[in-house]
Amino acid sequence: MNVIDKKAQASGEKRSRYSAGVLEYRQMGYWDPDYQPKDTDILAVFRVTPQEGVDPVEAAAAVAGESSTATWTVVWTDRLTACDKYRAKCYRIDPVPNTPGSWFAYIAYDLDLFEPGSIANLAASIIGNVFGFKPLKALRLEDMRLPVGYVKTFQGPATGIVVERERLDKFGRPLLGATVKPKLGLSGRNYGRVVYEALKGGLDSTKDDENINSQPFMHWRDRYLYCMEAVAKAEAATGEVKGTYLNVTAATMEDMYERAEFAKDLGSVIIMIDLVIGYTAIQSMAKWARKNDMILHLHRAGHSTYTRQKSHGVSFRVITKWMRLAGVDHIHAGTVVGKLEGDPNMTRGYYDLCREDFNPMRLEHGLFFDQHWASLNKVMPVASGGIHAGQMHQLLDMLGEDCVLQFGGGTIGHPAGIAAGATANRVALEAMIFARNAGRDIMREGEDILEAAAKKCLPLRQALETWKDVTFDYASTDTPDFLPTATAAE
Amino acid sequence: MPVKTRIRQIAALLLVDRVRQRLGLTSETPTLHMSFTGNPGTGKTTVALRMAQILHKLGYIRRGHLISVTRDDLVGQYIGHTAPKTREVLKKAMGGVLFIDEAYYLYRPENERDYGQEAIEILLSVMENQRDDLVVIFAGYADRMDRFFRSNPGFRSRIAHHIDFPDYTDEELMAIAEKMLAAQSYRFDESGAAAFRDYIAARRKQPHFANARSIRNALDRMRLRQANRHFEQPGLVSLEDLMTISAADVRASRVFEMDQERAKGG
Amino acid sequence: MRNTQGCFSFLPDLSDDEIRTQVQYCIEKGWAVNIEFTEDAHPRNTFWEMWGLPMFDIKDAAAVMLELDSCRKVHADDYIRVSGFDSTHGWESLRISFIVNRPKKEPRFRLQRTEGAGRTVRYSLETEPAD
Repeated sequence: MNVIDKKAQASGEKRSRYSAGVLEYRQMGYWDPDYQPKDTDILAVFRVTPQEGVDPVEAAAAVAGESSTATWTVVWTDRLTACDKYRAKCYRIDPVPNTPGSWFAYIAYDLDLFEPGSIANLAASIIGNVFGFKPLKALRLEDMRLPVGYVKTFQGPATGIVVERERLDKFGRPLLGATVKPKLGLSGRNYGRVVYEALKGGLDSTKDDENINSQPFMHWRDRYLYCMEAVAKAEAATGEVKGTYLNVTAATMEDMYERAEFAKDLGSVIIMIDLVIGYTAIQSMAKWARKNDMILHLHRAGHSTYTRQKSHGVSFRVITKWMRLAGVDHIHAGTVVGKLEGDPNMTRGYYDLCREDFNPMRLEHGLFFDQHWASLNKVMPVASGGIHAGQMHQLLDMLGEDCVLQFGGGTIGHPAGIAAGATANRVALEAMIFARNAGRDIMREGEDILEAAAKKCLPLRQALETWKDVTFDYASTDTPDFLPTATAAE
Repeated sequence: MPVKTRIRQIAALLLVDRVRQRLGLTSETPTLHMSFTGNPGTGKTTVALRMAQILHKLGYIRRGHLISVTRDDLVGQYIGHTAPKTREVLKKAMGGVLFIDEAYYLYRPENERDYGQEAIEILLSVMENQRDDLVVIFAGYADRMDRFFRSNPGFRSRIAHHIDFPDYTDEELMAIAEKMLAAQSYRFDESGAAAFRDYIAARRKQPHFANARSIRNALDRMRLRQANRHFEQPGLVSLEDLMTISAADVRASRVFEMDQERAKGG
Repeated sequence: MRNTQGCFSFLPDLSDDEIRTQVQYCIEKGWAVNIEFTEDAHPRNTFWEMWGLPMFDIKDAAAVMLELDSCRKVHADDYIRVSGFDSTHGWESLRISFIVNRPKKEPRFRLQRTEGAGRTVRYSLETEPAD
């Protein structure tokens, strides 16, 4: 007999809840449409696509069961626990708009199901066994509501946007960065040259790419030493605080700590990790960063394997929430106009999750719940991948000023050299900020503003000329299911 | 000349100046500082607020707000205190109108080391150098203001417009009273109106008469008496009752008593 | 050497009218506007001298220009910066900061190197005297 089987369910006569055998998940108490979620519950909404013939309510109840206390059969040992409390309860299912066969299932979890301050524990429950459960064709974790009591068990971002700005003494505009290219193959000495030119030319920081660790062409100590010489020289040449995101990603925690300590000893203000090191390693590095006055940059390497497809996986907004709890200071959150996936409305949702203290429910931005952050530090979103100076007005309008704009190719690919590329970006940015503050409509007048600035700046003129027609205009795969509607509040 | 006519004249001049400036017939920013003279309660502050709006709409000042101050806001208590205080006030007023009530108190010739002189000097320099940023209106009694300007000729030459605010006539005060009441959903009944006319005549003869301000204060007390009257009377109170000020509410005023004493004594 | 701290150092030096637009932006956002000066714009010199208290309740940029003019009279050959402070909960820090006055000849920073074991070098910056 299939565990979830309509026929079995039809023939099954009423029997006691705890007698041995197989019961439907909904009969075991994992479906409770009358349940009123408590303020202290962790809430999750899943996109559930059941196999043919599987009842959506039963599928949703199964998700609740498999992500909390249930197993496939009744166990008498439930009765040794306050099992009614520990059972997750699916309290609502809605059909996904315009998507036959899929449902949004809302599930409430009691706070006692989770270890305080552990993303690993949260993930093990919510996206553990359940994603492989056979009766489901596909399953996606869309969003979570993290109660204040739970949020308060996390350190949160080691530094936060405000203190990062204070340390760097940079206010009123996005920070400018560049990822060193080519991403693989440069020796330490050549790599440091790129860093020096970019910083001297006007960028605030440069950055290792995700897969720059310690390879035959450049071992990590070499990179750090040359990069920090470049940073120091650029500071002397400009009078500004400069930085380079030294990637400390490595095979073991011991290696990562060793690299982070070395970066600190050399006077770096920031280190970097990749998402692929795992939640526990990220939390460890966040604690290290808090203890050592370091900004912690997270490159979201690998996330698209599970965030990009709408039907199955984990939405990036959930990853964003987990990372704010885990304590990173920066997270790559999309560019909208660049080369990587990013629907404007969904991206807006991620940026809001990083930077606001309270996120109201906004379905058109993919936000299914109100979320209070209880004064947890803010995360600086990073826009990176295929952006250039000619898009400055669009970037500023869509992403706001509290973000990092990474112009890798858009700096290093400049025809007159790296420093010229950096200057072009900085001039474009300052001119746009100035114009916006002076009351001009940058979306309408953006190109004129750039042209006017370019008249006084040859590198910007060259940049605009080189990249003027470059766009990445492809349909997004991860798009909102809900259209914006007028509400009384608006 | 009635105040309203004076204001209309000034507004017309400013409007024409603006047009002439646009057409290139003149380039100088006109001096806009003013003096409003008259007894208390004759509407100087209210007109100053309106003047700020007019100047703003005509583009002579950028923000249109009004900051109202007296000597105490400008002049300090100890050495080195006055300049920062005066500058603080000036900074808040920038872009709008600075209204200095009883401005003559800034000048105290009897005290050689009075800090008011320091405030006067700062005011004069800003009035001259930042005509685009700020309009100053001096207000107070006509005679004292006159003496003040005579002792400080710097002001006289920097003030473009003088407006004199005459006392209101009895009929005007009656109309003002009725408007004030109507704004709060009250009205006089016939006897109440007659009593209030008497009240105006009596009040005017007594000290500290402050035109419309005295009327406002009198009405506040009469509303209090009306409320007490209803509170102490047994029986139902109608909507009509709640809205009406009667002779009893007016005539209980001490002003009538004092008027009789005056008549006897005189 | 041109010190490029602040929001607008890569643009030509701002005229008074241009400064006014940015100050008015701060005022309309409800931020307090602050004027500070220093002769040593070292990147780690956080606390420049304050020219009076931050201006909290002003309506028009002319108020800041009044103070800036008097600051310039005294500190014509120093760095002067204007900043906007936002006291909103969760921010309570600067929202913008930009240089509005520079010394005629800007000092350079000398890079000091102290070599250590394992090829490490410690760097520090020293502000060179103007002459």
